Amino acid sequence: MKVTVVKNVLAANDRIAAENRALFDKNGVYVINLMSSPGAGKTTLVEKTILALQNRYRIAVIEGDIQDTYDADRIAALNIPVVQINTGGACHIDGNMIRESLPAFDLALIDLLICENVGNLVCPAEFKIGENAKVMILSAPEGADKPAKYPLIFQESSVMVINKIDLFPYVDFDLAKAKRDALSINKELQIFEVSCKTGAGLDDWIKWLTDRIDDFKKPRV
Amino acid sequence: MHELYLVESVLNIVQDYAVKQEFKKVNSIVLSFGRLSCIDPKSLQFAFEVQAKETPAENAALQFKILPAVIHCFSCGRDLELDIYEGTCPRCKGEEVMLVGGTEELQIIEMDVD
Repeated sequence: MKVTVVKNVLAANDRIAAENRALFDKNGVYVINLMSSPGAGKTTLVEKTILALQNRYRIAVIEGDIQDTYDADRIAALNIPVVQINTGGACHIDGNMIRESLPAFDLALIDLLICENVGNLVCPAEFKIGENAKVMILSAPEGADKPAKYPLIFQESSVMVINKIDLFPYVDFDLAKAKRDALSINKELQIFEVSCKTGAGLDDWIKWLTDRIDDFKKPRV
Repeated sequence: MHELYLVESVLNIVQDYAVKQEFKKVNSIVLSFGRLSCIDPKSLQFAFEVQAKETPAENAALQFKILPAVIHCFSCGRDLELDIYEGTCPRCKGEEVMLVGGTEELQIIEMDVD
């Protein structure tokens, strides 16, 4: 007997992500899901973003790592509420991991929740967590071939931050190709060229994020 | 390694259907996904063999419908199927292209059951 199913395999995760989203909406929490390869600069971008915005918004962070608390310790040093999810080998964070970490926060007292995903360009792109925006980082030393090799994460993201632009003189990074290929996958993609080390270009990223949060927090009529 | 998680979700869906539609055994499952979705059929098959043990889907045959990677090229105006996506048109080498297919997520299309 044939049974027609036609169902997304990750529908159960999508449902949990939607429930997270409803909870975030109710409490006015803008959520970003930050993704990249290991070592592209996720935690440093989180630190820089906190330093730029902590007087303007109440910020909290969820750190997803396979093990250890190095990243969470860096965030806690900035006096920001942080929860570490140790995925214990899982290569991504999913909707349920976020749901289980939320009781640690008072959501009513958070404007911006940054969820730093496990370093990986494949699996995080598939699992929604209830975010407003997926933001991915491509760092110059990784090479400009990444959009063509891992199209899904570039398609799913609203923002591509090209980090470590201070290393352009030392690495063969074809900036034009990286941008062209990423836009051929996702023409809506916002691209920022930054160096978290020198601070170059970070203002544009901060402005984009501020505009999104303010728009999200605007009372709806 | 996301194949492990994907297979776990497949088996949860199969289990739901087995209860609802009262079948005991799954003979085959048709799955579809895009060629560029970073899903490896061999890993999926292996993860399935391991995880389907002692479920209604044990020994079920997996069939994969792999949806092609397709670009639209603005230089030559064509839609082209590709094996490897390189960000350029393989026919005219045009750089103004748009990816229009190939990243579709994993779906269960149908099952054959007893």
